[in-house]
Amino acid sequence: MHPRAILSIACFIGLAIASIRTPPLVLPFIDRTNAHESMTMYPDRGVWWPDYPRFLEAVRAHTKSGDSIALADPTMRWDAGYSYAYYRASYFLSGREVLPLVGPDDRRIMANVGRAQYVAVWHNRPPRGRPVVFAGYGGVLVRR
Amino acid sequence: MALVLAALFTTLVLGIPAALAIDRECRGGALVGLSFLYGSGLLYGALLTLSLLHITWSAITTTVAALAVAAGLAFVARRKSLEATGTAGRAWSPAALPIDLLTAYTLFSYALYATLARVWEWDFWAIWGLKARVFVEASGIDWRFLRSPFNEFCHPDYPLLLPLNYAYTALIGGGWDDRWLGLFGVAYGLALLLIVRSLASREMPPVAAAVLTFAATAFALSHYVGLAEAPMIAFGSAGVLFIRRAVMFDERAAMRHGAVLLGLAGSTKNEGLALIVAVGAAMLLVDRSHWRRLLRLWPAVAIVAPWTIIRIALNLHTDIVRGGAFARAVIRLHEGISLLQRLIAQLPDSWMWILMLAALVIASHRVRAAERFVFSVVAIQLFFYVGAYLVTPHDLEWHIETSWPRLTRQIAVPLLFSVTVLLARTFAGEETLAHAEAGQDLH
Repeated sequence: MHPRAILSIACFIGLAIASIRTPPLVLPFIDRTNAHESMTMYPDRGVWWPDYPRFLEAVRAHTKSGDSIALADPTMRWDAGYSYAYYRASYFLSGREVLPLVGPDDRRIMANVGRAQYVAVWHNRPPRGRPVVFAGYGGVLVRR
Repeated sequence: MALVLAALFTTLVLGIPAALAIDRECRGGALVGLSFLYGSGLLYGALLTLSLLHITWSAITTTVAALAVAAGLAFVARRKSLEATGTAGRAWSPAALPIDLLTAYTLFSYALYATLARVWEWDFWAIWGLKARVFVEASGIDWRFLRSPFNEFCHPDYPLLLPLNYAYTALIGGGWDDRWLGLFGVAYGLALLLIVRSLASREMPPVAAAVLTFAATAFALSHYVGLAEAPMIAFGSAGVLFIRRAVMFDERAAMRHGAVLLGLAGSTKNEGLALIVAVGAAMLLVDRSHWRRLLRLWPAVAIVAPWTIIRIALNLHTDIVRGGAFARAVIRLHEGISLLQRLIAQLPDSWMWILMLAALVIASHRVRAAERFVFSVVAIQLFFYVGAYLVTPHDLEWHIETSWPRLTRQIAVPLLFSVTVLLARTFAGEETLAHAEAGQDLH
């Protein structure tokens, strides 16, 4: 056999072998309970799991489509966690208008408190003197 | 899960008239794969049109709209006699069966992975899934949401094909549920693998076609579950592979498939828009005398036009070209070597890329020249990616780390296909040569 033909075969077989992705291939043979739990908490891993998603679900249950909700979290700094809290709230509270109180440059956007019908506060101090709509899972939802 | 499967099946059925309208002789795996991809595009078109006409989305309005278009296409398929794509070779053989079973097992394992839990990827719930969920709540595209300065994080300029497909599932399911949406990636991956298997069997023996399809699972089954990578890989790869056939074998039906699929790639991700340009440029590079053939890409332009116009009208900017892009590019050009080093360091599937490059060296010049089109598309698309890194306003390290592994996988299937054809032809050619030389020695 010509050397070029041998190299072609070797390269062809090499491509097939290199394409094998072992981790998913073993999935049918293992107990996937741990993997399910780990992937379920993956978006909210760290201090956010499991209370933050539960809090957002509760806020959703106590508000209706079209309501506007300002959001406060314990960090109140964009890269320290606020961006995550805001994005996640936007997903869970779809249909409502979620208003950030912090911008990507860490600037406070307090005008949004005035625009919002509700303020959702998670692990932070809620505004005083406002009627509490819901309290639980480490957070408070107050009406403005 | 049943509802998502029902939505995927409906998508497939809706797409059959479209596949047959484009190519009446389309059959087997290619028909199934193309029908799903076209059905997905058809639903995107239906939901976008309803929103533009201010018609409220519901399971009934969206299905009726999609059925109306599908019925029209079925009428076209019956009436028009457009010539078909090239005849399929022998697709199956007993020797190929074990390899095809291995591919099926890989797909099954991937399906288990993609549905381990609710879709978990950040970009799903911050971009693709978020938009779908918001639109379902609004019973239409929520333009106010897209225009809000507070929602720039969800990239409002990104094309909406995938979110609208997710939205359709929620509409027929009666509400939003992200538990089984990972199955979309499985469906797009399967569609592409069926197309690859069918196209490969036209150019190589069944065993080689089966091995190529198995190797393609590394790229077609995207591990970025819930993101637009899976449809982008499926539409883009299938589009390039059909245009390749059109360029190499002058098949008009393949050109139609390719142009429509590229248009759908451009309706899935911004990289799809770049891919249309890359394909056009590569067609010119391969044969400048056939520039008129470029006009046959018009369906791609027509499909991406509505969203492009909407983007411009609503002033939805792409973040990477934010102010000062030229200045950033000039500065980063001076760091060219370090940029290249970062790209090499972050390259995923490195063994696959090394072997694909090795195949280019191993192949004889004559067979390599035949695959110039695909190599040009890949090179031009890579050039666009590097251009995006040069102008990005984001931290370069972060941008490369979070996007390069995804981007390189978008263009890998056509390259893998061409490389495999090269290896098969080189092997066949060298063997023929060796036999001829042996014959001469005997005489």
